[in-house]
Amino acid sequence: MQALPQMDLIAKERDRLLQRTARVASLSFLAVSVICLSIPGAVQTFTLLLCLPLYLIMAVFQFQVGNSRSLAWVVPSFLAGIGVILLIANTPGGPTQSGLSAATQLSSASLACLAIVLTTTLTRRLILLASFVAVAGTAVFALQPFQSPIRTLALLAFGWILSALIGFWISSGVPQAIRRIASIGRAHRAERQASETEAQRRQGARLLHDTVLATLTLLAHSGVGVSADAMRQQSGDDARLLRQLRLGATPNPQVSGDYNLSAPVSETVLGTTLESVKQRFGRMGLEVSWHGTGQVLLPSDVLDAFLLALAECLENVRRHSGVTDAHVTITEDDTTVRAMITDSGVGFVLDDVDSASLGFKESVVARLKEVGGQARLFSTPGSGTTVVLEVPR
Amino acid sequence: MTYAPPEENTLGVILGGKPRHAKSAAVRRLTGDDTPRLTGLGTGFVGIGAAIIVSLRAIYGLMWLVVQWDQYPNPMLAAIAWIVLIAVIVGTTTSVHLISGKLPHWMFALFLVGLATVVALDLYAVWPLHDIGRYATSAIAAGMTLLLVLTVRRGSDIIVAVSVIGIALVIAIVVNVPFALDNLAPQITAVAFAVLPTVIGLALISNLRRLVQVELDRVLVQSTLTAPRFAVGMMASEELARLDLAAEKLLDSVANGSTKLPLAPKIASTAASLATELRLHLIEGRRETWLYHAITESDLLGKSVTLTDKGSLAGLLDPVQRDGLLSTAWLFVTDTAKRGTKNSVHVTIAPSTTAVAPGYGDKVAIEITITSLGVTRNRIDASTWEAIAKVGTYTDSTEDSSVRLDIECLVDNPADQ
Repeated sequence: MQALPQMDLIAKERDRLLQRTARVASLSFLAVSVICLSIPGAVQTFTLLLCLPLYLIMAVFQFQVGNSRSLAWVVPSFLAGIGVILLIANTPGGPTQSGLSAATQLSSASLACLAIVLTTTLTRRLILLASFVAVAGTAVFALQPFQSPIRTLALLAFGWILSALIGFWISSGVPQAIRRIASIGRAHRAERQASETEAQRRQGARLLHDTVLATLTLLAHSGVGVSADAMRQQSGDDARLLRQLRLGATPNPQVSGDYNLSAPVSETVLGTTLESVKQRFGRMGLEVSWHGTGQVLLPSDVLDAFLLALAECLENVRRHSGVTDAHVTITEDDTTVRAMITDSGVGFVLDDVDSASLGFKESVVARLKEVGGQARLFSTPGSGTTVVLEVPR
Repeated sequence: MTYAPPEENTLGVILGGKPRHAKSAAVRRLTGDDTPRLTGLGTGFVGIGAAIIVSLRAIYGLMWLVVQWDQYPNPMLAAIAWIVLIAVIVGTTTSVHLISGKLPHWMFALFLVGLATVVALDLYAVWPLHDIGRYATSAIAAGMTLLLVLTVRRGSDIIVAVSVIGIALVIAIVVNVPFALDNLAPQITAVAFAVLPTVIGLALISNLRRLVQVELDRVLVQSTLTAPRFAVGMMASEELARLDLAAEKLLDSVANGSTKLPLAPKIASTAASLATELRLHLIEGRRETWLYHAITESDLLGKSVTLTDKGSLAGLLDPVQRDGLLSTAWLFVTDTAKRGTKNSVHVTIAPSTTAVAPGYGDKVAIEITITSLGVTRNRIDASTWEAIAKVGTYTDSTEDSSVRLDIECLVDNPADQ
């Protein structure tokens, strides 16, 4: 699926590396060459003046080789270079040692370094061969009166072969490097999936987090209103649950002090679980009276959502109603399990409560919605509050 | 156990004053200049290539020594210099091969002492000839020998070393060689051949390291392509685990009585913020799409790409479309930047008003708009257009220095899933 663009990207990265390397190498030797040529007496001043524009052209083109993979930036350098070699060889009176050095630096080093970008495709290799023949031929014949052809050719061959080898070496090494990096990418994908699974496991432990959140909320109010012993016992229970979660189990609190560590329970009896909710609120000073069906089987995700919503409502009663007892009535029919939470507390004007605040919308409505249920809220100031929660069976 | 509040919370608020770790710390850790894993990441081949080149250079230099043997007043000294240099080359190549990762300081020091000895011996041997450029052999090769440690030492170490060798040669030449125009070119050439190969090697290795870093960033981001519509980021489970642990510690310290009840206001407020964070992570943890995570987790994309996706529609794209969209953003950022300019890419994803063509009844259309500042249209190459075409049918327009792409993208109707 991703094979083609991947190959393309690899080739691109490889070419960019080759181009940058060729640019640095050819430009630095070009500089050495022009310095040698500028030594007084290297060539006649007139020859030097003719050569300098050609050097400038080569500098611009060799710089551009670093930016573009187009061959149009490569070939003109060779032509300008050949021009410079001919000019040096034909300078009146012949070049001195410095002039010969300049020609050698140009032909065997600066132009040779362009071979680095001419190794990747067949066309480029052919161009490489043609350029070498052209540059070497010019240099050997033009400099023959001043320098033995064998020496010229040896230097040329050394420079061109070396930089072609560097080109081949890089272009075979980079794909290897990129393949190794790709294997790191695969490992990373596995890590991401593991992270996702772990996050799901922790988020999935909702019942556990619900009791932890309730306890933390109590602690946030400095534990006021609850006896210190009850607070400590509840904290200890919750800390133990969290430790089990951390160690890899998915604990489901059922009855206080007795935890079900086996995850595969797909359906749980509502009654025993409700008992733990009742006990927890009992410790915090809210007496929950229990009416109706106690033996309803629910899928665990529905049960989780149902209990979380129920506990959230009871927490609201405890904190806002001003009374110390609440009634929960559970009824069921063929399709629905319904809980009605009533208190005879202060109540409130529905419109006064921003539905986004209080956490009611997020923690009650949203959770029930996820499992296909719903919540309705009835209240008037002075006559208590009733919440009806419904989940499908 | 006494309860100690955590250093920072997971909503990015620093409690202890330390800066929050960047998401891509992993990338930086993997590609840092001196980590052992760097050679493992494929720069190793440069080391082998450097060893071959240095050996070739040594053979070339030795040939010159043999050719000029009769002209030396004291050829044995030059020969000893070569023996030392060969010992240094063999020793260094072997230890670089055996040691994975950074060359220890003492070994690098030993290597430099070896090179200094070579340069000193060779210069002393050719001193009476008063033409260092023509007769020095191992001293010139010593400069290139620094290529051997290219992959195992920091660039700055090598720059300093090669500069010292270069300056030493220049000083020796100035002091030793009588100034004559005819003499100048060989001296310049000699210094250039001692210094330039290492400089070129440094340019190569720094470009290669950049390549590795960019490539690593890209493959790490690509792991988002197969993520579900809403995903948690790489840090989410870590954050949840940390919150759970913090809560566990707090509750434990309350249970065993080491934190007194009623709680001190500071600990109470910690409990409140823990509860808030836990609630947010449990309830609101899954609101972000793969694209959001890809952009925030990437070093490169994070700096220049902004995303507007109110309906979280990016999550509906299939893996091929995601690959295309990510590659497009990627190529816009890395490929088309002109020197010195900073690209910015803005991606907007919104429901489309266009009716879906007949025959695609089970699909819905979404409109992806990519606006890119600082990109000229003619710098967008064929592979970028290919990547865009994988996302959907597109139209493009140019104004000033920005390119705007409107992509009509067909995705499975989420209502059917």
